[in-house]
Amino acid sequence: MLGPIYAKHRLRIGLGLVALLGVNFLQLTIPKILKTGIDGLSDNSISQRELLQLALLICAIGILATILRFCWRYLVIGFSRHLERDLRKRIFTHIMTMDGAFFTKYSTGSIMAHGANDLSAVQMACGMGLVAAVDALVMSLAAIFFMFHIHAKLTLFALLPMPVLAIATRILSKRLHQQFDRVQEQFSLMTEFARSSISSIRLLKAYTLETSQTKRFEKLGMDYVHSSIRVAIIQGLLFPVATLVGSSGMLMVLYFGGKLVIKEAISMGDFVAFITYLNMLIWPMMAIGWVTNLVQKGITSLKRIHRLLHSRSHLPGGIAGKKPDSPTFTLQNLNFSYPGSERIILSGFNLQLLPGILGITGPTGCGKTTFCQIIARMFPVADQTLLVGGQDINTFPPQSIQNEISYVGQEPLLFSSTLAENIAFGSPDAEMEAIIRAAKAAAVHDEIMALPDGYDSRTGEKGVTLSGGQRQRVALARALICNRPVLIMDDCLAAVDTATEQQILHNIADWMHGKVVIWVSQRVKQLALADRILVIRNGKIDGLGSYAELKTDNDFFRDIVRRQRLQEPLPENSHA
Amino acid sequence: MRNFGYFEEDYTVSISEKGLWRRIISYVRPFIIPFSGAVLLSLFVTASTLALPWIMQRAIDLFITNPEKTFDVRIDGLGLYGLAYAGLICINFIAAFSQVLLLEWIGQSIMQRLRQDLFSHLLQIHLPFFTKHPVGRLVTRLTNDVQNMHEMFTSIMVTLFNDLLRMVGILVLLIYMNLHLGLLLFVFVPLAAAITISFSRLARVQFRSIRKQLSKLNAFIQETVSGVYLVQLFNRSRDMNRQFAELNDGYLERTLRQIRLFGTFMPLTELMSTMAVAVILWYGGGEIIQKELSLGELVAFLSYMRLFFQPLREISQKYSIVQSALASAERIFNLLDTKDHEQKSPALPDPEKSFNGALTFADVNFSYNSQQQILHQISFSVEQGETVAIVGPTGSGKSTIINLMLRFYEPTSGVISLAGHPLHSLSPHILRREIGVVMQETLILQDTLLNNIALDTGKNEKQVQDLLEQSQLGAFIERLPDGLQTQIGEGGQTMSTGEKQLLAIARVLCREPSFLVLDEASSAIDSQTEKLLEQTLEYCFNKKSVLIIAHRLSTVQRADRIIVLEKGRIREQGSHSQLLELGGIYSRLVALDFE
Repeated sequence: MLGPIYAKHRLRIGLGLVALLGVNFLQLTIPKILKTGIDGLSDNSISQRELLQLALLICAIGILATILRFCWRYLVIGFSRHLERDLRKRIFTHIMTMDGAFFTKYSTGSIMAHGANDLSAVQMACGMGLVAAVDALVMSLAAIFFMFHIHAKLTLFALLPMPVLAIATRILSKRLHQQFDRVQEQFSLMTEFARSSISSIRLLKAYTLETSQTKRFEKLGMDYVHSSIRVAIIQGLLFPVATLVGSSGMLMVLYFGGKLVIKEAISMGDFVAFITYLNMLIWPMMAIGWVTNLVQKGITSLKRIHRLLHSRSHLPGGIAGKKPDSPTFTLQNLNFSYPGSERIILSGFNLQLLPGILGITGPTGCGKTTFCQIIARMFPVADQTLLVGGQDINTFPPQSIQNEISYVGQEPLLFSSTLAENIAFGSPDAEMEAIIRAAKAAAVHDEIMALPDGYDSRTGEKGVTLSGGQRQRVALARALICNRPVLIMDDCLAAVDTATEQQILHNIADWMHGKVVIWVSQRVKQLALADRILVIRNGKIDGLGSYAELKTDNDFFRDIVRRQRLQEPLPENSHA
Repeated sequence: MRNFGYFEEDYTVSISEKGLWRRIISYVRPFIIPFSGAVLLSLFVTASTLALPWIMQRAIDLFITNPEKTFDVRIDGLGLYGLAYAGLICINFIAAFSQVLLLEWIGQSIMQRLRQDLFSHLLQIHLPFFTKHPVGRLVTRLTNDVQNMHEMFTSIMVTLFNDLLRMVGILVLLIYMNLHLGLLLFVFVPLAAAITISFSRLARVQFRSIRKQLSKLNAFIQETVSGVYLVQLFNRSRDMNRQFAELNDGYLERTLRQIRLFGTFMPLTELMSTMAVAVILWYGGGEIIQKELSLGELVAFLSYMRLFFQPLREISQKYSIVQSALASAERIFNLLDTKDHEQKSPALPDPEKSFNGALTFADVNFSYNSQQQILHQISFSVEQGETVAIVGPTGSGKSTIINLMLRFYEPTSGVISLAGHPLHSLSPHILRREIGVVMQETLILQDTLLNNIALDTGKNEKQVQDLLEQSQLGAFIERLPDGLQTQIGEGGQTMSTGEKQLLAIARVLCREPSFLVLDEASSAIDSQTEKLLEQTLEYCFNKKSVLIIAHRLSTVQRADRIIVLEKGRIREQGSHSQLLELGGIYSRLVALDFE
């Protein structure tokens, strides 16, 4: 999967690795120079002048190494960032083509979390991981080679503790990740607890639960503390173990190497060079454990990204270019379950959607929203159960169905741009007049004009804060302006007060004329305007008819009509 | 008052803010003994780290390169020094490990206290505060900001201390060993300091710009992914992809800039250490030729230089951690300083104060903000054992009446009293034990049903069971798989709207209040639960003083008295038959229901 990206940047990686090897080579020559100097000093065969030459040589090597170090960092780590960019782009463009089924499996939150964590894991593995792996391998092999060259047996003694370090870092860093995940989990439990406590502060106070809730929070906090300390134990071991092992190697060199110098088997210069090589080995040994973990995490993440990129939309592609003749829908014994789930959401729907208003109501969770989403082509359905203009919906490309539909959902999602752009989202070329006309129909024009920047006010984090009702009306305007033959409004004015809702319904009567309109609402009184009302209960059609018919024939409908009477404006006023 | 966190992104504090440090230290004070222990351990770590090259040097000079002593003495001496070396390694390991643990423990304990203080402080603050401050931001104070401060206690206090101690120690040792060479190497100190400080500054700026771009990018992805259907439906994928590519490239550009900075700085520290080696070889070598320095000392110099440059990178990174920790600390302490506590009544009511369950509103006016008055001259009373129903359209002020009764808000004028005691003479705690409320929304704790019902009353399973039987709620429990021991809340049994309301009633009855307030569920409830609910309401109406906000005429008809509320004013008041006779709004409502 990364192949093409690697190929694209092969020159960059190649040069980077060459620079890295150059640095390694230069680093290894310094102990050699030191050895020459010290040997000269110990048998008094070196002059001040020669010493200065050696020192200048070391400086020159240092400067060259600095330049090469910059090069590999910029080239190789820079590559990992390019890779991150390319992968992120692929993920994003892929997600933009997915259907509703994909998003029931992957929530926005999980896409964000996995996207961010997995991308950075892959980036780390391909950047620092790659460098550390090459560096560790080359440096340790070279250092060991030179050490062998000085004295083979001493090398073995000095290296004796090293495998312990590699194994210890490997085991510890693996543990660390596991424990760390647990700490993260406890952290999010704590966060969630705090969030739910603060958002239901009214209830907490009403039940005087301040003290007991604080105690619960304390317990969660203590759990978190304990796990954190467990992490600290591992983390606290990691570095001291490295120091311990490094120093043990040094001890070996001091004792056995010292003996060898006394016996004159090696020179004093050899001894110093040996110590320098050993110091060079400590980091690669630590790196081995670290790198294997990094690479492992990178691979797991890459697999997850791979799965994401290879998930396919469940909507059949249809015959390219085919468009429906008329925007009428026929449901023939339509059943629906979410892909990959056993639970039946809708069953046995037989219904025709013709131009005119179809009102829909029913208890929460009965399948109203799913019904709207199926019509709006977000989820796949079985062949021959849903016809558009008399032909199976599965024979059309999803986009050609979607082009017929304006949809306003329960959650009025606006994008972070100006209000005018938000309203014109579906028809970016719309004239300002059209935008205003739509906003007026959705009864939000006056409120927009009252904002300091009017239609140029920005929504989103740093922009104006709109109330839920205002956002719902902007979302409605966005749907109206497209003027498509099918208009689906899924409980889209729930946060708007009843009087304004009446006003809007009055305003958009013209817009709805001759269109297929689906209008979900919990407010029965407003449903009286619909040509037909559909009552859905437990995923089945419970009643279909006019307002008057349902009020006498349908138990559920009659019940909510009564229930809502007390919440409506009082009778005296409504006549006034 | 400052607005918390609005400027989180660009917010910095100058370290010299004394008050801030004083408060941080006040949290450390209880841990002064373990903290001193950590500092002591720090001395051990530094001493043993620095002693190792010294032992090496002594061994080289005394035994390895000393031809004057006999072979055996040299070998034995080397063995002895080897042992000392081994001993120091162990001390270093143990000291370093215990220090990390000790500091983590101290840091975590302090954070836990801070978190607890903040949490209980938050719960004490009066309600209007929460309408002004978004939940997310308050939660961030409790979690991320506290976490940020933790970094300071562990990594900073220790590492900074260890590192600085070590660097000073090395310089002292070097100067002691050879004054000239030591002083010569001292030149590297201001150089290193200058590079480190300027790097930290630059790194912080870049880090911030990267983070800003990343949050922009993530916000965009989040928004587009959650609105993906709109993008598809309105055919805007191409534009969205283009905008995304722009942000994505901007992020790449910034990270590359950071790599360039790190690519310059990191090799520079290495270069300095190489230069130091060259200086030691050249100048130290000269000193050896002039017999001013021994070979062992030269080797020690080389080792110390390596130790000296190690912590430099760390220090530069720690600087930015301190900055962000202090910013967090300031936000936390600001929140802790909020004075909007619920007013505790001056005199605690004496425990013999009796509550007979009578409630009066006398000329109560109220507005949330000065612009719009919500309640006008509300006067009514509920006598002991009476059931009063309030009827009115959405927005007529029904829930405001509950808010005032529980002292979530104080009336602008007028007096509310419970059993003859004005509410402001009662502490909110006592008041809320006497008035039991069932609201539309229910708080469900992730626990057993029993604990959810008993809450902090301390009632056992038997008592709760009896109480439920009495109040006709027994059947509710029988329907659940494990009865009272059923786990509910996240990950447990899910409950329907009706069941939640039953739970809320059970919970309130368990607290044996003298007065009950019910906000009847307005959404549809399945018929089985509906029946249970009606039986229970019947029980409540018979046994208690009840104020009910009714959504169904069948409930209203069973009340002793009915209040019709509209736009914050009482329009009609009386019994069902009285109001029917009156022929006003209520009678029309009833007529509509039977049409």
